[in-house]
Amino acid sequence: MTKHLDTNILVIGGGATGTAVAWDASLRGFKVVLVERRDLTQGTTGRFHGLLHSGGRYAVKDPHGARECIQENRILRRTHAHCIEDTGGFFVVTPEDEGDYPDRFKAACDEIGIPCAEIPVREALRREPLLNPRLSRVFEVPDGSADSFLAAHATADAARRAGAQILTYHEVTNLIVDNQRVVGAQVYNVATGETFAIHAAMTVNAAGAWTGKIAAMAGIEVLILPSKGTMIAVNHRVVNTVINRCKLPADGDILVPSHTVAVIGTTSVEVADPEPLRIETWEVEKMLAEGNKLVPGLSQMRILRAWAGVRPLFQETYTGGGRDVTRKLALLDHEAREGVAGFLTITGGKWTTFRLMAEAAVDKVCEKLEVKRPCRTADTPVPGAEQGHYWLGHRLHEVEEQHLQSELICECELVTRAMLENAVKRNPTLTLDDLRRDVRLGKGPCQGGFCTYRAVGILHEMAQAGAYRPDADAWDAAFLQSPGKNREPLSVNRDRNTDYSLPNTAPPSPNLLLRDFLQERWKGIAPILWGKQLRQERLDELIYLSLMNADHLPDAELTSPSSDFYHYDATPQEDANA
Amino acid sequence: MLDLLVIGAGLTGLTAAYTAAKSGLRVKVIAKGLGAMHWGAGTLDILGYLPGEEGAVKRPLAAISQLPDGHPYRLAGDVAGVLATFVALTEEIGLPFQREVGRRLTQINADSENLLLPSPVGAARPAFAAPVGQLGGDLSRPEPMLIVGFTGLRDFYPQLIAENLTRQGYPARAAFLPLAVVSGRRDNTAVSIARELDNPDQRQKLAQALRPLLKPGERVGLPAILGLDDHMQALADLQGLMGTAVFEIPTLPPSVPGMRLFRALEERLQRLGVRVEVGMEVTGANRGWRPETRDSQSPISNLQSPISIEWVETETSARPLKHRARAFLLATGGILGGGFESDVNGRVWEPIFNLPLTAPQKRSGWFRPAFLDPQGHPVFNGGVAVSPDFRPVDGAGRPLFANVWAAGGLLANFDPILERSLSGTAVVTGMAAAQAIVEHVKCEP
Ligand SMILES: Cc1cc2nc3c(=O)[nH]c(=O)nc-3n(C[C@H](O)[C@H](O)[C@H](O)COP(=O)(O)OP(=O)(O)OC[C@H]3O[C@@H](n4cnc5c(N)ncnc54)[C@H](O)[C@@H]3O)c2cc1C
Ligand SMILES: Cc1cc2nc3c(=O)[nH]c(=O)nc-3n(C[C@H](O)[C@H](O)[C@H](O)COP(=O)(O)OP(=O)(O)OC[C@H]3O[C@@H](n4cnc5c(N)ncnc54)[C@H](O)[C@@H]3O)c2cc1C
Repeated sequence: MTKHLDTNILVIGGGATGTAVAWDASLRGFKVVLVERRDLTQGTTGRFHGLLHSGGRYAVKDPHGARECIQENRILRRTHAHCIEDTGGFFVVTPEDEGDYPDRFKAACDEIGIPCAEIPVREALRREPLLNPRLSRVFEVPDGSADSFLAAHATADAARRAGAQILTYHEVTNLIVDNQRVVGAQVYNVATGETFAIHAAMTVNAAGAWTGKIAAMAGIEVLILPSKGTMIAVNHRVVNTVINRCKLPADGDILVPSHTVAVIGTTSVEVADPEPLRIETWEVEKMLAEGNKLVPGLSQMRILRAWAGVRPLFQETYTGGGRDVTRKLALLDHEAREGVAGFLTITGGKWTTFRLMAEAAVDKVCEKLEVKRPCRTADTPVPGAEQGHYWLGHRLHEVEEQHLQSELICECELVTRAMLENAVKRNPTLTLDDLRRDVRLGKGPCQGGFCTYRAVGILHEMAQAGAYRPDADAWDAAFLQSPGKNREPLSVNRDRNTDYSLPNTAPPSPNLLLRDFLQERWKGIAPILWGKQLRQERLDELIYLSLMNADHLPDAELTSPSSDFYHYDATPQEDANA
Repeated sequence: MLDLLVIGAGLTGLTAAYTAAKSGLRVKVIAKGLGAMHWGAGTLDILGYLPGEEGAVKRPLAAISQLPDGHPYRLAGDVAGVLATFVALTEEIGLPFQREVGRRLTQINADSENLLLPSPVGAARPAFAAPVGQLGGDLSRPEPMLIVGFTGLRDFYPQLIAENLTRQGYPARAAFLPLAVVSGRRDNTAVSIARELDNPDQRQKLAQALRPLLKPGERVGLPAILGLDDHMQALADLQGLMGTAVFEIPTLPPSVPGMRLFRALEERLQRLGVRVEVGMEVTGANRGWRPETRDSQSPISNLQSPISIEWVETETSARPLKHRARAFLLATGGILGGGFESDVNGRVWEPIFNLPLTAPQKRSGWFRPAFLDPQGHPVFNGGVAVSPDFRPVDGAGRPLFANVWAAGGLLANFDPILERSLSGTAVVTGMAAAQAIVEHVKCEP
């Protein structure tokens, strides 16, 4: 018998949008299965800029979008409190940004209802001493800094608790279309290599920049203009407030404090495909040059990592790309549009509006299934929200209070061994990169120099003890990030029935984990290696090559679920126009 | 006045200082920080891999002829002779490097084969010679290995090591001991445990805990923790108590074997009257002459013979200090040692003498796409080009200064990490450069 699953609603995509659709739909009593081809947040959601928009950025150009932002901003501060740091935001007028824009901006914010107060420049500089002292005006708005990794996990956890099944490392390879109706999808389990069918009354395509590819499986054209944005993390929290340039949105005009770092971004470049994304030398230089205008000297600081994400900008018909394409959400009813029933696409939008996007999608699902069930997400905090807003010192505080120093395996990001072990048990882990997203492993200044080896050793010890297998019952995103709440390793329930959500295979080879993670990290750092980071990189080479001889281990020639994914050229390129 | 000021306190600077001081020169070593010795395995690695070739090098001295012209080993000439001097030095300082346990290393020649020793992930790492503490791990020996770790020690994973060794045909199994056996502290590193094992009582306790784990015929592999100051005795005690070979496997940095070597070399230098001052960053050189003005006041274009450096300047917390010497040896280790700087525009430069570097001056030329590319990354292959007597030269091969030499990781035309030649090239070029300096100083009036 071929395996298959039956469900009411199949959600494709494990980003902010897909997890929220699963959450919303299961709260409304639907049976839901979500499939994500890799790890949660592996798409754009894990590569965004980290800004919980107040709406200020869109106030002048897109008042409707701005209104959605401020409304959702208020809701997410309740439902996902612990995923948000209440940094506040400034819109600053630099000597380059004079003109009437600042006044139009203020008027638009007032009109839309975005709290916006002009504050004395001196007051802004007192709060953010590294800011450009030549600013002429500063406006304060309720921007925030958002952890999209934790948020997606928490949302997925909430969905799970409401009965949804979350299948990571499951890729949709085809839609099953029967008589002009999508009735489910063929799904490939990346970990085991098996393929099976999921049948559903409704299929919701929330595959972000990949929605066009999914729709094409049903013979439908959805025009997505992939627009690439590159961001750079600086090794300091140079600011504690989100800093926006007060002008029409352009490249490199936002600086976001995020955990231990600050992130400058972004560019906006139309690309043919959502992947692979190359980070160009000019993008790095541009971000640094623009960053200098906000924080003089930023380009001289130590740069940790560069990454790129791709905006899923939707267009009815092609008219040109980039910043002028609407960032509004797009809900496509394919029955009404193309006569293909059982199938919706939800894309576009922003991270800030993911809940609203899900609400719109599931409202439409109810309409299609002819049931009336109101949306409950706006009033339902996800697990963990009771902790209140994130604050920077939380890990250090717990580590010091509970004397966990000797447990740390990533000193840069204060990750303890039990946090790592529990993350593996809480969530299918096929690559060390999954742990980077789960607990910030290797995101600090040494970019994994020490913790990579330790994590490989620990995962191997877990595998030997039979404790590697994730335990769906243990899934608990609320405390994924907390050293204090992970004092003890979770015990694994090994007798439970096999579940589709769990990779049903032997744990990955430690040697491949090591090799793939080293290559993965190379991708993120090669574009920004110079100065101190170049030396750091050499130290890490000394450790992994000279000391460990890690490039001469058994299995070196094998492929893994992620090896093809990590191998592509991310090294600095000659400028096309140079 | 000093005869020689060595800039850099890595293996290059220290062995050079030793060679020069032993020949009667007045020598001093100054350095910004500690060198790569504190990060590495602490073995003598001459040549483990040839760039672009898959398998490990079997006979490193014979393979030197396959290295490109201009490779530091090709310049040094009598590599075996210099290495023999280094081995004698390790005996002098009480940390003898050998190739077979208990056998003084007297013969170094083209037939000498690399050892294979277990690495902290259980790979077989090629090394030419090692401190005796690591030799019991020689993978050509038939005895199966018991690799013992400590629960809670985050820098050593015995199961991973044992599994990988076994998969490569070297039988090994793993076991754990509680950390409390060797330490009363909460937070432990290999260094803190090594300090504990300087105490003979702790060795007793360790042996007692180890004994029940051992099967007949096995040898015991431990992380490198067998004493810091009293290592040789700690090793002998433990082997005596256990009645079998006990060996160390290096751990994540800081490296205990590297620290031992540094401390012993430093002490030996002190007895020769050489001070090693760490915490001094050299920021510039010569009276009125600054690196950035080199182009306009080029020593080559303005003068018939290359100019001499009179002093270098260090930045200390109190005030800038001038250090005068008849000769200067630059041993600042290139990118790894902090001896080169680089920026976003792809510039790589040497900040003290502003020596020309062969590294590509464009970021697009620095790297290859795969981190583990067997050819390595071009930026790490670039450095200071020198004459056969280790003086930095200009593009035409003429010495840039009358009294400046360069050695070690900053040299051009090789990648010591890729080749696994870090300690070998450090020793060989450091000692060879020092020999050239001795001749120069002695010939001068
Ligand atoms: C550079 C940049 C900066 C941004 N900054 C911000 C910001 O600061 N604030 C903000 O609010 N918004 C920001 N955004 C927008 C925001 O990040 C996105 O709108 C949002 O993350 C999209 O989430 P998503 O879930 O729709 O898509 P994704 O996160 O891309 O999720 C889609 C998922 O579908 C999966 N998938 C694809 N194909 C398949 C398949 N065949 N089978 C199974 N799964 C599949 C993918 O792996 C992926 O995980 C930014 C966007 C970019 C590009
Ligand atoms: C708010 C925020 C804060 C962050 N802070 C930090 C921080 O402090 N420190 C830090 O180190 N990082 C930080 N990051 C970075 C974060 O972890 C990014 O998700 C990560 O760097 C992006 O991954 P990557 O592109 O480097 O690697 P991956 O996630 O492995 O990227 C995959 C890349 O490969 C491409 N690709 C996909 N498929 C293929 C294929 N089939 N073949 C070839 N290529 C393919 C993709 O398009 C993508 O560019 C932060 C991110 C966010 C959102």
